[in-house]
Amino acid sequence: MDQRITAGIDCGSKTTKCVIVEGNDPIGIGLTSSGFDIKEAINRSLNDALCASNMDRECIERIGVTGAGAGNTEIVDIEINEIRAMGRGAVHFFPGATTVVDVGAEMARTARLSKNGNVEDFAMNEKCAAGAGAFIEAMSRALGVPLEDMGELANQSNNPIPMNAQCVIFAESEVVGQIHANTPVKDICRAIHDAMASRIASMIRRVGPMGTSDDDIVVMGGVALNTGFIEALKRELMVERLRIPRHPLIVPAVGAALIAREEGSD
Amino acid sequence: MDRYPTEPIKCWDRAKKMRADWYKDLTRRGGIRIMGSAWAFDAVPMGLGRDVRWMAGEPYGASCAARPELSSRFMTAAENFGFSRDICAYMRNYWGSILCNEYAFGGAFPKADLAYTQHICCSHAKWYQNAIALEGGGIPFFAVDVGAGPYPPFAPEMYEHRIRYVTDQLLDSIDWLEETTGRTFQDDLFVEAAWNDIRTTRAWAEICHLNRAVPAPLDEKSLYSLYVFAALQKSNGAFADFYEKELLVEVRDRVDRGIAAVGNERARVMTDTQPPWGSLSIYRHLEKWGVVSMGSLYTFGLEGMWLFDKDSQRLLPRPLPPENPQSREEACRMLADWHLSRPEYQHFYSPRYKTDMMDAIARGWKVDGIILHYNRGCEGLSMGIAENRLGLIDRGHRVMTYEGNMGDQREFDMQTTEKRIDIFLESLGLPRPKDP
Amino acid sequence: MDQFEKWYADRLDYQREWKNKTGKEVVGYFCTYTPEEILYAFDILPVRILGTHEPPNISSSHIPGMFCPFSRDVLAQGLLGRYDHLDGIILAQSCLHLRGAFSSWEIHRGPIWNHYLPMPNHVQSERSIPFLVEEYKLLIENLERLTGRKIGDDDLQRGIIKKNNVRKVLRDIYQTRRTDNPPITGAESMGVACARFFTHADDFLKEATLLLESLQTRRLKRDPGNRIMLVGSESDDVEFLKMIENLGETASVGCTVVVEDLCTTTRDFWDLVDTSSQDPLKAIAVRYVNRTPCPTKDWPQRLRIDTIMDLAREYRVDGVIFAHQKFCDPHENDMPFIRKRLEDNGIPTYFLEFDVTEPAGPLATRVEAFLETLDATDDLF
Repeated sequence: MDQRITAGIDCGSKTTKCVIVEGNDPIGIGLTSSGFDIKEAINRSLNDALCASNMDRECIERIGVTGAGAGNTEIVDIEINEIRAMGRGAVHFFPGATTVVDVGAEMARTARLSKNGNVEDFAMNEKCAAGAGAFIEAMSRALGVPLEDMGELANQSNNPIPMNAQCVIFAESEVVGQIHANTPVKDICRAIHDAMASRIASMIRRVGPMGTSDDDIVVMGGVALNTGFIEALKRELMVERLRIPRHPLIVPAVGAALIAREEGSD
Repeated sequence: MDRYPTEPIKCWDRAKKMRADWYKDLTRRGGIRIMGSAWAFDAVPMGLGRDVRWMAGEPYGASCAARPELSSRFMTAAENFGFSRDICAYMRNYWGSILCNEYAFGGAFPKADLAYTQHICCSHAKWYQNAIALEGGGIPFFAVDVGAGPYPPFAPEMYEHRIRYVTDQLLDSIDWLEETTGRTFQDDLFVEAAWNDIRTTRAWAEICHLNRAVPAPLDEKSLYSLYVFAALQKSNGAFADFYEKELLVEVRDRVDRGIAAVGNERARVMTDTQPPWGSLSIYRHLEKWGVVSMGSLYTFGLEGMWLFDKDSQRLLPRPLPPENPQSREEACRMLADWHLSRPEYQHFYSPRYKTDMMDAIARGWKVDGIILHYNRGCEGLSMGIAENRLGLIDRGHRVMTYEGNMGDQREFDMQTTEKRIDIFLESLGLPRPKDP
Repeated sequence: MDQFEKWYADRLDYQREWKNKTGKEVVGYFCTYTPEEILYAFDILPVRILGTHEPPNISSSHIPGMFCPFSRDVLAQGLLGRYDHLDGIILAQSCLHLRGAFSSWEIHRGPIWNHYLPMPNHVQSERSIPFLVEEYKLLIENLERLTGRKIGDDDLQRGIIKKNNVRKVLRDIYQTRRTDNPPITGAESMGVACARFFTHADDFLKEATLLLESLQTRRLKRDPGNRIMLVGSESDDVEFLKMIENLGETASVGCTVVVEDLCTTTRDFWDLVDTSSQDPLKAIAVRYVNRTPCPTKDWPQRLRIDTIMDLAREYRVDGVIFAHQKFCDPHENDMPFIRKRLEDNGIPTYFLEFDVTEPAGPLATRVEAFLETLDATDDLF
């Protein structure tokens, strides 16, 4: 087993995550707000991860970066596209992963992986907030329910109601309409999660195939922590089980670290 | 050090001049100016005399789109008039040009004396109906419906009544041209122009057929600058000669000597639908990866005439009819049959037919990946494209898609698209370029 | 009225029951240029496939989002397996969007009997008639393969009479809306008109005839408000019509939709087949060529404008609301010119886009604002 220590940095629109990997395990994690200065965020997250793992910079053999960090070559040894990083990270935690989904604050992406973990097909949704975490955030404001409670509240509902709006703005309007109609808040909450799961499932189906017992679907990103979304996604995809990593936010960073190690030197 | 030798295309400068002269010629006084689609039977009005100036709409729309600041003014004018943003981008550029009374090649917009076109997508005839209204009306207008069903092998036969329908409309249009202009229609000029149409479109197909060679002698970006003659005026004898006697000869020579369009060609892709005309640099981006786009059904079959052979599953240039047409009726019939076989007409009846042809190109032209442009600017050519994607994936091809607009820059995002292309090319196993 | 609502809501049950009862075929169609007369001649039940106003996410791998939401909603019905009782599907070529729904349906719900009818676009040319007659013969051959039955001119006449009767009764029902206080609202009319898509002509005719009789004496206890005409593409947005026609109950303005120029209503049933002709197949072709056109077939002259102006005058319309499906290119091509002609003739207009993913509430608010401008115009004099 290659015991070299490498770091992977994932520059997201909101959060930059750095993970230091030794052997099979992440040994230090640094999470920092991305802000406007990507270079700064990369450095900060790296320092935080070094602190957390009690390491010096010199211990890190190679650093891989993914996400918006492309072009910052000063400290970075290798740039990895985010789909590859996502796939590699998923396969690390779930070796049988066939489909990977990452739902973040402002974007969602999915990939189908071959048996050896290569990306066979992918789809991304960048232009529209309604297919990402921002949608649930906006709806939590409209409902006056704390964001962290949205998922559980949704799971308390047994009453699916249709939610037509695909756009965050129109959805707010629709939620207000439902509130005025005295629809129970938990039902509205479930409708919000169902609507989002429907869109994400639609994106996943694009890279198909679905519905076989060989499917092993890994869901990561901030929204994977939302139990309401996960239950809704299971219903939408008609699967019993979705794989959620213990730290859903750091998987692409882990993937980047592993690829940095595996792809040697330039 | 490039893998293959490269050379610039010898007839490039001549082609550029020919195109520039053609557009300038349209603004000259005198003669009859006629506007219509690039798919129109432009050979027919040639029977009115040698002073007919033909204005093809789509190449003009694309020329506007290639200049985003100009295009954005035209789009705004069209939208202020009341046209929706999702209408065909070429039309909005064209109508905006009329509304601003500004010709993209300088001066006022050249007003047409007649409109003569064809109709297959929802909007073809509406284009000129609306253009006439914007010009204040009073411009005589004839459109030939070519929505007469698919061509074999996508139909059991080319039924006589379907050929008859188009032929009769063409004959009617000749009577109409005489009535409207007061001129006597000259069959000999028409018959010559009809044969030019067939020569031009057959020659273009032969040129594209040569791109099966490895390395590809031509890249798609160059193909766009060269296919334009078939779009501008198929029935133009000088254009037919240029393709048959100059360009085809030169490309054969390039193939014989192994001259490449992209010196570091290491992988080949195929695209589809019109490109985002204002952002053709995405082709240069591909070249950084050593990837050459060697064409598409769009570039090959928009004007080029091909037939799909079901037995061999190959797409082949359509053979020339054994003889030139000798009479008006013969020419009309020959043109009707020739045009109805247009590859880019077939998907209007089912995406299955286009998937067959795209698959044939991908295999025959040795393509490693397929890049589909979900072109919001043209619903006609992007009709069924999602089914083409599924069909091609089913047949084992690697496919990526990106959203954009051939004529409206507001709907295309270069950075996102380049990122997607990079991810796709990496997934094909290509190494990242050292200097992206 | 209840029966029509039931047919609309339980369309699939009705079709399955009809099929079980008769043992005959049900064929789904996508566009009103489909010659139902020929299908009836074969004793087939033709049913139009409309959407169910749910977000059609399932369609997005097949028809990208830039195509009209109606076509994607229609395709979703097939992909969701709701129409598995159909024996076949047929498309008469008109707009690109519905062609996409038809072909994706054929590819993914097949193998299924299907027929693509190249309904000519050059309907203003006489050449389209002999062309269409030959295409009808191809259709008939294909229907013979589906049913194992053959038809003659008598069967065609039968089919013609069935459809003519349905169209006549609907026109007569629509005539009652010309009065000062129409005995039937726009929402009700649309519900009745759309119910015909899902039911056999005989059943529909019976109920519609009863309805027509009752309308002679029916009086509605509502202020009709402004007389509104809808002009647009496909619409079966009965809920939207209910909303705007109920505005008068709570707001200071109200309206009644007194007539429409829509694919789902008058454009489909206004024109009849000439039954005096000795050549019924040609008579059918003539009817479809000459009927009020879809914009994709309305060239070189824009004839539909005259039809719209006639309707606006006959029904004494105060204002016109354009009700388009979002991304409907054919109608968007015509709209600025129709609008201009209406406004030049003193009829104010307002434009609305429909999309199943947008809530109807805000649309009703905008209509309210439009109605207020109509009343304001009155006050000026």
